[in-house]
This record gives sequence, C-alpha cells and structure tokens, in this order.
Amino acid sequence: MATYALRRVLQTIPILFVISVLLFLMVRAAPGGPLTAARRNPNISKEQIEAIEEKLGLNDPLPVQYGRWLGSMLRGDMGDSIKFRRPVSEMIGERIPNTLTLVGAAFFVTLLLAIPIGILSARKPYSPFDYTMTTITFIGQAIPVYWLGLGLIVVFYVALKNPFTGDPLFPVGGMNSRGQEGNPLDTLWHLVLPVTALSLGWIAWYSRFLRSSMLDVLHEDYIRTAKAKGLAERWVHYKHALQNAILPLVTLIALDLPSLFAGALFVETIFSWPGMGRLFWDAAKGRDYPVLLGVVMITAVLIIFCNILADLVYGWLDPRVKYD
Amino acid sequence: MIEPLKGREQTMGTLILRRFFKHKLAGVAIAVMLVLIASSLLADLNPFSPTDQNPTNKLRDPNTAHWMGTDELGRDLLSRIMHGGRVSLAVGLFSTVLSILLGIAVGALSGFFGGWTDSILMRITDAFLTFPSIFVLIILGAFLREQQLFVLQNSIFVVIVIIAALSWMWPARLVRGLFLVLREKEFVSASKALGGNSFRLIVRHILPNCAGPILVSGTLQMASAIITESGLSYLGFGVQPPTPTWGSILSTAQNQIFTAPWLGFFPGLMIFITVMAINYIGDGLRDAFDPYVIHTE
Amino acid sequence: MKLKLFTLFVLLGLVLSACGGSGGEPASGGEGGGTVVLILPEEPTTLNFYLADAAIVRQVADSTSMTGLVTIDETGNFIPVLAEGLPTISDDYLTVTWKLMADLKWSDGEAITSDDVRFTIEVLSNPDSGALVGTSGFDLIANVETPDNLTTVITYSEPYPGYLDQFAYGLFPRHATGAPEEMANWEWNRAPVSAGPFIVSNWESGKSITLTRNPNYYEEGKPYLDEVVFEIVPEPSAQTAMMLNGEGHFHLWPGEFKADYDELLKGKAQQYLIPGIWNMAIDFNLSAPFDGDPTASAPHPILGDIRVRQAIAHAINYGGLQQDVLQGSVGDSTNPFAYGWYKCDLPRKHGFDVEAANKLLDEAGWVMGDDGIRVAKGAMYVEDGTRLSLELQGYTAFDPLQLTEEYIVENLKAVGIEARIQNYDFSIIFGTFEDNSPRAVGDFDMLIFDRGFTTEPQGYNFDAYHSSRITTAENPTGGNYFRWVNENVDAALETAGSSFDLETRKAAYCEVGQAVLDELPQVYLYLFQDNYGIADNLEGYTLNTWGSMSWGIQDWKFK
Repeated sequence: MATYALRRVLQTIPILFVISVLLFLMVRAAPGGPLTAARRNPNISKEQIEAIEEKLGLNDPLPVQYGRWLGSMLRGDMGDSIKFRRPVSEMIGERIPNTLTLVGAAFFVTLLLAIPIGILSARKPYSPFDYTMTTITFIGQAIPVYWLGLGLIVVFYVALKNPFTGDPLFPVGGMNSRGQEGNPLDTLWHLVLPVTALSLGWIAWYSRFLRSSMLDVLHEDYIRTAKAKGLAERWVHYKHALQNAILPLVTLIALDLPSLFAGALFVETIFSWPGMGRLFWDAAKGRDYPVLLGVVMITAVLIIFCNILADLVYGWLDPRVKYD
Repeated sequence: MIEPLKGREQTMGTLILRRFFKHKLAGVAIAVMLVLIASSLLADLNPFSPTDQNPTNKLRDPNTAHWMGTDELGRDLLSRIMHGGRVSLAVGLFSTVLSILLGIAVGALSGFFGGWTDSILMRITDAFLTFPSIFVLIILGAFLREQQLFVLQNSIFVVIVIIAALSWMWPARLVRGLFLVLREKEFVSASKALGGNSFRLIVRHILPNCAGPILVSGTLQMASAIITESGLSYLGFGVQPPTPTWGSILSTAQNQIFTAPWLGFFPGLMIFITVMAINYIGDGLRDAFDPYVIHTE
Repeated sequence: MKLKLFTLFVLLGLVLSACGGSGGEPASGGEGGGTVVLILPEEPTTLNFYLADAAIVRQVADSTSMTGLVTIDETGNFIPVLAEGLPTISDDYLTVTWKLMADLKWSDGEAITSDDVRFTIEVLSNPDSGALVGTSGFDLIANVETPDNLTTVITYSEPYPGYLDQFAYGLFPRHATGAPEEMANWEWNRAPVSAGPFIVSNWESGKSITLTRNPNYYEEGKPYLDEVVFEIVPEPSAQTAMMLNGEGHFHLWPGEFKADYDELLKGKAQQYLIPGIWNMAIDFNLSAPFDGDPTASAPHPILGDIRVRQAIAHAINYGGLQQDVLQGSVGDSTNPFAYGWYKCDLPRKHGFDVEAANKLLDEAGWVMGDDGIRVAKGAMYVEDGTRLSLELQGYTAFDPLQLTEEYIVENLKAVGIEARIQNYDFSIIFGTFEDNSPRAVGDFDMLIFDRGFTTEPQGYNFDAYHSSRITTAENPTGGNYFRWVNENVDAALETAGSSFDLETRKAAYCEVGQAVLDELPQVYLYLFQDNYGIADNLEGYTLNTWGSMSWGIQDWKFK
C-alpha cells in the first residue's frame, strides 16, 4: 500500500508537467485574447492595444511565455492578473473561503440527506417513500440548476415575505447583509437558497447510486446467507450492504471534491456569490491568462490528488482490491 | 437435442419481457417515451410552424389556440417544443449511450487488467478531467470553422460526439471502481482458473453486476446532455437559431422569468419527463436482466 | 411529504431572517442621508478611468475618481468643475490657461494644486504609463508652467481641438499615487484619493464596492447621500428581483423591455432610456468569400450585385423590428452618423417594401423556386440553378442580437432569400486577422453586430470606409471589412480628416453616410439606447449620454 501510494505520488510529477503544457496551450490556443474587448472600445486606438500587448509580452513565442510562466509558478508566484493588475494568489485567496463555505455546506447537506435516502429507498424499493424520493431527486437533477435557482428566488425572495418584518424570507445577494459581516447566522441565512439549488442535483446522484448499488449487493449470496442465519435484517442492511455499496460513493466524492475549490459557476452567478466559479468564468471570458492558468492548474492538482486518494480509500475499505 | 434448447431460449426471452413489464412504471415509461418520440417526429402535423413569427402576438400566456403560449417573437411554443424534441431527444439519448459505452470500455479494461493498462488509461482520464470544457469547446468551434467543415459544424452527430467526449470520464471511473472489487470475487477467480476468455468474462459475468450504477449514471447524464447541447450553440457550433431545441428555448427564457415564466417551465418539464421515463425504463431493464431476481422467483 | 418539506423551509427562513440582519433598510427620510444601492452586472477591474477597457469602470469611477477640471453635461457642453471657469485660450490656439478654484482639497485633506494638473499631464503623456484611454492630445503638449498654486499654463506644439476633453476625466494627486510608468500597478487604482463626492471605504472582490461621503468635497452641503453601494449582481433576473424588493435603487442595463419593466415594478421603479452610441447594422461582404483572397478583387457571387443588396434592404421591416420585436427599446438609425455633432439626418433610401424587393430580385435574375427560395436564372455572377442562400453571422450570448437575426431571417424568407444564422463566440467575431477571424479574412456573407464611436469620429470611420483600409495580409488591422471601394468616400474622409471646421467635417461625413445609403455596403437597423431602472423614491439624478450611471451622484437624494 505504502509503495503504491509513493509510486502514485511520484507518477504525478511528470503527469502534472504534461498537463501544465496542455492546459497552457489550450488556454492560449483559444481565439481572442485579453484585449479582445478593448478592440471594440471606440475610445481605444489600435496602436495602444498593440503597445499594451507588447508590454505584457503576449507577442513573444509561446515556448518563451510558457517557460516564463512555469518558472514563476515553480517559485510559487502565479503572476498578476492582466485585467485587475493584482496578484493572482491574492485574488484566489479572497475567493477560497467563500467557495469552501458554499460548496462545503452543499456537500455536507448532500451527504447528510443522500445517504439515508439511498439506504431507505434500497431497503424498500418501489415503496411510496422510494417513489417520492425518486421524483424529488429527479426534479433536482432534471431542472437545470439555473432554473432551480431562479425559481427559488422568485418564490422565497420575491413572493414570500416574513410576515413580521416584511423582509424577504431568504436573501439573494452574496454571503452577508450589509453590516452583518461575520455574523454566522446571517451567513447561514444567505446559504440556504444557494445550497438548496446546488445540493438537489448532487443528492440525486448520490442517493440513486447508493440505492442502486445497495440493491445489487442485497441480492448477493452472503447477504442471503446472513439473512438465513437469522441475523437481524436491519443489521444486514446497514453493515454488509452499505460497506459494499460505498465504493461508487467514494468514486463520486473523489470526482466532486475538487469543486470545493473550483466552485459552482451557475449557483454563484444566480446568487451573486463571490466564489471561484465566477472568478474562473470571468477570467475565461476576458482571457485573463494568469488568473485562468492559476485556477486550472490548482484544480488539476486537486483532481489528480483526489483520484489518488480515492484509490487508496478503495484498498482501505475493501482489502480485496489489489493494485499490481 | 436442438428443439428443447430453442424452446428454453424463447422462454428466457419472454421471461425477460415479462419481468420488464412486471415493473409497472417501466411499461408506462416506455409508453411516455414513445409518445415523446412520436410527437417530435410528427411535429409537422402541428398547425403552427415553429418558425412563423407574429411579434404583435408575443409572450402570450398558454391559451386555447397556443396551448403552451407564444415566445418572444410570437411563435407557437408547443410547436417549437415538439420540433425541439427531435434534436434534444436524439442528443440526450445517443450522447449518453456513447459516453457510457466509452466509459465502460475504458473503466472495464482499466479495472479488469490493472497494472500498466490501468495506470495509462486512468492518467488519460485524469487529464481529460482537468481540461476546462469551455476551452475545449471554444477551440473545437474555432477549429471546425477554420477547416470550413460547415457540414460538420452544425451537425447533430458532432454535437453527440462532443458531449460524449466531455463526459465519459465519470462512468469510466465508476466502472473501474466496481471492477476493482468484482474481479477479486469468487466467480471471477473461478472463471479465470478455468481459463475463461477475458472479453467473455468481462461482458458476460462482471458487467451485468455493474448494471445498476451504470444505468443510474446514464439516466442522470441525460438531463445534463440535453442542456449542454444549448451551450454548444452559445459557443458557436451545434444547432443554430431559429431551429429550436429544449435547451435553447430554456436558455433564452432566462430573462423572462418574471414576464413569461411558462417559457422556461414547458421545456424544463419535457426534460424532467424524459429523464423520469428513462429512469424507470432503466429500473425495468435492471430487474429484467438481474439473474438473482430470476432465481428467487 | 412535499408540503412538510416546504413548511420546514419557510420556518427555517423565518427563524434565520430574524437572526440575520435585514437587507436593504429603507433609506432614511427627510433632507439628505441614506444609502443608495446601485446594481452592476459585472465588477469593474479598476477605478482608474485611464486604464479602463470596459464601460463598467466609469459607472463607479464617476462617483469618485473622475472629478476633473471640466465635465460634459447632458447637453454635450463642457462645464467647469474644479476649474474656476472654462480656460482661456490664446489667439493662435496654442496656449491654454487653466485656473483652479481656491481652497480645493483632496479627500485626504491635502490641497489640490496646479502641480497635480502638471502631474496628470506627466502621467498621461508618458508612453509607458499603460493608459488605454483618454491619452489623445497629451503628446502635443510642449510645455506646462505653474506660475502659482492655482494656475496652469499649457502650451501645445500645434492647435488641438480636444483641449477641454483632455481634462474631463479626473486628476491624479501626485502625493498619493506613484511613478507615472507604474500607473497600472498603483494602489490608488482601487482606493483613489480623489476630489469626487465619494471615496471607497470597502471593496469586497466579486461582491460589492462601498463608498462613503468625501468630507472634503468642494460643493457645500454635498453629496446628500451618506453612502453609495455598488452591488455586483451578474444574473439579470436577480437584479430585477432586488429592484422588486426595494433592495436596489439604480439598475444598470435591465434585461427587460421598458413596458414590461414598468409594469412589473409599478409603484417601485421605472426604466429610463437615453440615446446610446451602439449602432446595429448588417455588413455585406462585397468580395468573394472563401476564395483565400481577402482583397476586393473578385465580387461576391450573390451580394456583388447591388440589386440583391437593395432587395435585402427593402425586405427588412424596420418598424416591426424596432417597435414590435424590440418594443421601442431602440431608436431608428439609417447611417453611421446617428448621434453627436456629426449627426446626419438622412432618410432611409431603401425602406420596407416587399414589392420593390421582389421586383429587384426578379430583375437581377433570381426566380422563385419550388421551396419558396429563389434560384439563379441569368443572375450576374453565378451559374443558373444556384440557390439564393446566404449566411448571416453574429456573435452569441446577446439576446437582442439573436432576436434581430431571427426576425430578419423571416423577413428575407418572405422575398425568397434564405438566410442561415451562424453565431460565433465574441472572440471569434471580433478576432484579429492572425486569429483567422471571419470578418478580418473576409469569409462571410452578411455580418450583424453593433458598433459605436465617440466625440471624435475620424479614426473609426476612416478605418471602416476608406479603400486603403481593406483588411488584407499586408494590412491586417484594416477595418474596411466590406471590401468597399468608393473614390468619393475616400476623398470625403480625407477632407474630414484635414479640416478643423466642424461644418466642413460634418458635411464630409454626411457625404459618406449618403454613399452608404446609395451603395449599401451595409444596412443600418437601429440605434441602441442606454437603459436604467431607477427607484421611484430617488431624485436629483441626471441621465447623461456622455457620462455614466453615477454621473452627478452628488446631487442624488431620497424623496
């Protein structure tokens, strides 16, 4: 196990290098550049744009630019944003706590609800409970997050009001009301709608997978053996079945965990949440290369790291899993 | 000798069919899907054209003439939804199938053989996961344009392939995870010991045991495929206006949430119905092919 | 079950809304005070106007860092701000003398002196400053003298007509900024020490910018408001929802049309429209596309015949487009010179007339086919049997543009022309020649987009219409995408560029405008208007085409 882990970590070094080249090329091969919007601005002359491009070194050969970027990345410097003229590390640093709060809360709610829903649905498949949960989770999955978010705003922000104060039942703008920064209850209040929009879709994935893989496992021999032995049915369900169904769950978590950093663009946009998803999207639209590369590289590292972690957890959860 | 075997196979077939329809909702779901497919294929029977405009009659609430109301150019929404079903259903179904097949292939090889096969395939999967899809799409759009592949640029086939290419990593990782466990199980070891052919072993013995999670993954991916399709046209390829798709109707309705909420409601409802139907068909299929269920019956 | 969930949700909301703070508290009544919330769709990158690549910067900067010597009011005239009056100019137009008002202070309490004017000139004339906008004419300043703390005497090397405009966008304090060549990285850019009515007190990245009253603002008793908050709300429906709940007071560029907006927000807010500068038109490619030759040499097989272009112009229902589809949110426009001192009121030469369009196409050798689309039979440049089918390119993610395209496709279909919409990402449509942008390399039939220019139109229009500016490999930055060659237009543009007399220049531009109407390298559709949603309880604001949403914010107050 330890040698396997070590081997995987060592493997990531060349892989990250290759990925960094690919990501750099990809970001730079996209048409347009940081000054595309400026080109349309009637106040800005073409000569000025060319001068700025020259100053930013955007006209140098790509390998030279890549070398420069990699060099500073290795020294821990992600450079300055072309648009905001601020250090990328500072811009990312501001957004990380916000994203962690939102996505972390949604993740927590998802696991809290999806696991019991999945287990209960699998225990009594095709029961009214199962059907109701299927319908609700599928509403969450089939309605695009965008519409779910807008719907929540229309109902809980615009239509419904607190009868005592006349305030909206839930707010839409950002993480805190003005003057309430640092009040955890106020943040919680602001979290309810975005977390609902974000976790409904996730709950669908997690509970459906859990239900389905538990159903598979429940048919297997040893479960029936366990039943035959007269063990409490409950115990069988919770122990054996869950333990075997948990592998797909680990896979899902490993695939979703990087979004704790990468954020959730649609929900952040609808609820004016200043998270990483929006930072990435704005940088992508404006081709703010240093910000873009900073975000995609950190995300890439996280994705790879989470997948290694998942593989290690497989082995830990199920000793039968062997890696050659 | 041959006669009874044949007879037995027929019984097997009917047994599967019978088991499928025993799941009542699966039968209903099949009917719903057929209606959806038929209504999109027969969309031209709708007296209203999906493109005929009447701006003086725009954004009307659903009424007796226009059952789903009219859109921002006064076009009949029902007709647009029926026509839109052609692209959306095709993209949703085929891109999901393609993505799942790709995912199964990579995941199964990786999980079954392990070792270097696993390492290489999974590192490729990791790489694909790290690519920001927005850039992959922008570059592809620009590339197709520069090659002047106009035929390809707007074809549904390309849309299907691209959506599959961007989403096969999830099923791949899932299937690999399942295979890692299953390949160590007794029945697999036994088969291996008996010198069973790997391909046969994978397809006949291990894969059926992963059917559940794979079907769930497919069902859930379908909704996002239908929506992703409209995102492609926003990036300059895929289906262009005025050809309607459920996704594009939804995305243009975004700014009308206060003035014409039904404009988003109906396409959203259609996606929901489709996904529900596919889910129950998946459930039915699972029951029908599940060897254990047959045993216990 | 579902009902229970819903009830639980509502209860949760009740409990939390009691614990959490309430959002936008209603403004305090009476004379002055209060917090105004302005809604922005995106975050400005800086508050230094001279570094701004987008219009969003000025929306905020106008309330703090852009208080300069003069400003342009809503009628388009220069009025003094920090200057005692408009400057005096010598008879040879070479020496301009500015006088500051006495006892002016920066927001940090330091005196505003003529040395700050000198510093502003030093920065903006430095080619390494990184400034993107507002630098024109500073290279013509030969000498600056500051005989006393209030007087600045500027000597130009040649007469410069824009000598007022140069000082309309704010001054830099020498003591609170940095070296001119470091301008792009000044800390001042995000927290300017300014002469404006408000100063930045908090900038929460991606969320909001809060400004408080500048204690040293020069106008007695102003600003009336205590606090100004710019909230960054990217989702249009969420913006409108905030206006509905009274949590926003000034809404930049609402997504809804005025009639819908006013109906929805009745008693709370209304939408106001002011003339904008973005002019929507279809550009025709007069040269053959996809032949690997971006020059004007070979004519476009279909659009090369002027009768086809005339027929297209006749086929478009301009009134229906402007009034029914876009609900009057746009104004009429027939030619490039639709606003400003150079505005040319030229009537539409090829107005909406389906019969005329059909007749022209018949004459041009395009006969109606079985499927309602015409086919060539004796047309000028194509073989018989060619379908009258053209691609209409635009850019994506801009709803009014897509509505316009879809409407025009139907208009053209009515006269037997098939138009196929092909939209691309912004970066492709407005890309460069090196990027292989279809517009630059000439690979398009019809291109629809909005374009605009400012108080000085020469640069843009020379680039767009002069035959020497046709975009080719040798001339990759040229802006004559139509590949239009017209000697009279070339001459008129040269006249307009060499004259100082506004009347002469205007006449020359109108000649260009008329040629556009005659030869139809493009068809103008409409002129966008800037729209603002403003809460009914706000007063004292001025809507200014030459300013931004927060122009004149020192005069705002709550009713």
